[in-house]
This record gives sequence, C-alpha cells and structure tokens, in this order.
Amino acid sequence: MKRNTIVAGSVSRRALLRGLVTCAGLYLLPATTLAAVSESSNSAIAFDSNALIIARGSLLLYRDRDRNWITLPEMSAGSILTLATHPERPGRVIGGLDTGRIVLSVDGGKSWDVRGQGLPKAAVTAITTAATNPDTIYAAIRGDGLWQSDDAGQSWVFVMDRPWLANAERDLTALSSVDLATGMGGIWLYAGTDTGVTRVPDCFCRWQDVQPGDAMDALASGKQATPKVPLPEGEPVSALVSAVSRPATLYAGLPSGIWQSQDAGVTWLKRSEVIATALAVHPLRADDLVIVNNDGVLQSPDGGRTWTAIANI
Amino acid sequence: MSAVSPGSMVTGLMAGVGMALLFGVMDASAKPENLTFLEKPLTPEQIALGKDDYVEFCASCHGSNLEGQKNWKRRLDTGRMPAPPHDASGHTWRHSDQELFAITKFGVGAVVPGYESDMPAFEDVLSDEEIIAVLGYIKSVWSDEEREFQHNLNLKDGRAR
Ligand code: HEC
Repeated sequence: MKRNTIVAGSVSRRALLRGLVTCAGLYLLPATTLAAVSESSNSAIAFDSNALIIARGSLLLYRDRDRNWITLPEMSAGSILTLATHPERPGRVIGGLDTGRIVLSVDGGKSWDVRGQGLPKAAVTAITTAATNPDTIYAAIRGDGLWQSDDAGQSWVFVMDRPWLANAERDLTALSSVDLATGMGGIWLYAGTDTGVTRVPDCFCRWQDVQPGDAMDALASGKQATPKVPLPEGEPVSALVSAVSRPATLYAGLPSGIWQSQDAGVTWLKRSEVIATALAVHPLRADDLVIVNNDGVLQSPDGGRTWTAIANI
Repeated sequence: MSAVSPGSMVTGLMAGVGMALLFGVMDASAKPENLTFLEKPLTPEQIALGKDDYVEFCASCHGSNLEGQKNWKRRLDTGRMPAPPHDASGHTWRHSDQELFAITKFGVGAVVPGYESDMPAFEDVLSDEEIIAVLGYIKSVWSDEEREFQHNLNLKDGRAR
C-alpha cells in the first residue's frame, strides 16, 4: 500500500504563497505523531465556494479564492468551535461558539452578527446547514441536544436529544447534512461522537446506526442486506463531512486517520494516516479535502492520498 | 362523540364547508376522502374499532389525546426515548403505512434493526385487521396535508424524499 506523503509543514507562510509543491521537500509523516491528537485547541474549517475559512482557538483565517491568506479580526463573542457554510450562500459563514451562541457573517468572516438567543448557554459543539435549505441550521449543544433554526439562526427549536451509544448519551463532535433520501420525506443528518458515527433523519424520528440497504426491503424479502465494513469500533470522531457534490461520499477524521465511505457510511476505507481535527470538502470536487491538525492546514486533491501544507498555524 | 353522521358530513363537504371548520368538528366517525391504509379506504367502522383499540392498547403511553409522553423529545434516564405523540405534532406521519404497520406489529427494531425501545410488539396482542384499524384511527386525526405527505411516502414505497 502506498504511504501517505506530506509536504513539509515547517515552511514559512511567504514560502507557501510562492508555491509549495515546487519548493518544499517531501517527507513521510512519522508514525509517532499520529497518535498525538491535541484536544487543547479546537479547530474548524469550511469552504466558502473556492475560499476557505479556518478557526483555531481565537484565531480566524481566511484564504480568498486567489489563495491570499487574511487574518480576520478577532471576535469578541467567543471562540468558534465549529463552522458551516452553504453553496447557495456565498460569503455567508456561520460559527458555533464555546460560549453557546451562534455567529453569522455575510462578508466571509470580516464582521459577525451574534445569533442563537434562546439556545442553552453551553458550547455549540457542531453545526451544519441543511443541504437542501440554506437557511435551516442545526446546532448541537454540549450536554443538551440538537436544535434547529429555519431562519438562519434567529429563532431556534429543540428537535432531538443526544444519541445514546455504548450505554451513555453522547455529545456531537461533528454534524453533516447528507442529501440522501431517508424514506421519511426528508434527508439525513450524520453525526460524529466520541464513540463512532450515528445518524438521524431530519424528521428526528430517532437516532440510528447506518444500515446496509433498506430495512423494509429486508423485512419484505427476508433477504440479508449486504455486509458492512464499519469504522473501527469506539474511536472518537473529530470530523465528519459529506461531499456536497456526491453526498454518499463521506470523510471521517479519527485517531487512526482519515476514512472515506462512498456509500453513505456502510463501508469505510482508511485513506490516510494523517490526523484531522477539522475537515472540509470542496463543494464541487468530492476528492478535494482540506484539514486542520497540529501541523497546520493541509489540502489533498485526491481524497486523502497525498497532502500539501497550505498554512502553518 | 359528535352528532354529525358520516353521511351528513359528506353532504356538508359537498356544500362547501370550509376546511378549517371541518377540522374543528372532525372526529373518528368522520371519513376524510384520503383516509386509506395501504391504498384501501378505511370505513367508519374500522376507525371506531381502531379508536377502541387505541384507548385500550396505546393510550397509556401515547396519550389519550395522542399527545405523547411528557417531554417526549428528551431521553429517559434508562437511555430510551419516551412515546412520541401520534398527532401531527409528532413524527408518526413521517412513516409510510408499511413502516407503521411493521413498527406496531414487530416493534421499532423491524424498521431500525438492533434499535432498543420501549415500544412493545403487538404481534401477539392485535390481529392485522386491528393494527390497520388503530393506525387508521391515528391517521384520521391528522390533517389532509399530513395525510397527503404520508401517502406520498407510501406511493414511492417508503423511499420518497
Ligand atoms: C409501553 C408503552 C407503549 C405502548 C403501550 C405503545 N407504544 Fe408505541 N411507542 C412507544 C415508545 C416509547 C415509542 C418510541 C420508540 C423510540 O423511538 O424509541 C413508540 C413509538 C411508536 C411508533 C413510531 C412513531 C414514530 O413516529 O417513530 C408507532 C407507530 C407506535 N409507537 C404505535 C403504537 C401503537 C399503534 C400502539 C398501540 C397498539 C402503541 N404504539 C403502544 C411506547 C408505547
């Protein structure tokens, strides 16, 4: 099997801007760094069309579509733990704060509006916009559950308690609206927890494991559904994203590396040993990944096989 | 029980009674046009039987007004979910007839394999006809909109959007 190669992350930002691939050397990521996932600084990343926005601790970075990096003004309302954008709302960025509010920007993060009044005052650990409705936002609140807003964050309703996995309620570490039909008149929300991936239909009927095939078909035919290859059991999920352009393509960031599924989470394949604390997929290219980890910000054009450092933060 | 007979209800409908008014007075003896189960129209007798069975077998958990358990969106200390409402404020109408039948007969595990819940399986308690009647009664309290939404799930064999 091909080892993951990574472009050195220790180059300066100026060197990065001059063109990484030509001037930086390649090295193999030492296995020892793989186990070290830092919980200390939270990070979040999202594509805004071709641009990128990154939050790490109180640091906010923006890479515009011409690939210029901008350090955005610090936000007073709190630190962003999670970010969401929507392809139909270019320039609009939504952040979930450690202080339990939602912030919304319509200028790519230069200025922010505080929303989420009415949400419990606990950290927003994961947010996503509904794939099929840009003004519907889902927010996961630590120690509480899932809330939904249909007016871009102005008003919120509690929709679902936290999932129950391995004998305990679990906070969500990641949330992704997956544009695949549930059979219940809507689409899925996939979630990462500190012990694996789970999902809930957007009717919030119930949290459930990913199942191969359709349970009703299996019930009717008495036939066994196709076997599944799940993620390694019990591993915490730090990032989970569905590719907008190919919703059945999912990426998950685990301590063991970056995993990919092409069938909405029935079978998973490890694509990389690289650790990701945050992960985003280009809205038009399902193989174009960006991640944040202790080495900085890395991009992969090929679904996680090879990586290029694009910023060291 | 309302004094309006199904016959006069239909006549009233023909005469152009406003829908909002109609919902206000509708009860189990009313027979909305789109009240079917697995494409078969339900009779007022079935709905009445369904209501009796509902009161006897379902109301203790799902509420005598189909309002569900208190705080039904919050997990119980056992880790399980409370019984949701069966009226339009819940999500029963987001399941196709096939799914509703399977859930009632075999429990939620029939549609979500391995799922643990307090919803009993009524396989050994109610006949298929009674299950259809109970579910028919539940459907009779939804508005036309929910019934139509739910009917579309049925048409596409539960795989609709
Ligand atoms: C002992 C309590 C109890 C009784 C009695 C009971 N239920 Fe339930 N039912 C539940 C619970 C709890 C759930 C939610 C399961 C979950 O999601 O974990 C449920 C869920 C359901 C659902 C799925 C609803 C949805 O939207 O997902 C249907 C349908 C249902 N019940 C029908 C019935 C019918 C019909 C009867 C009577 C014949 C009945 N139940 C009697 C406890 C009960």
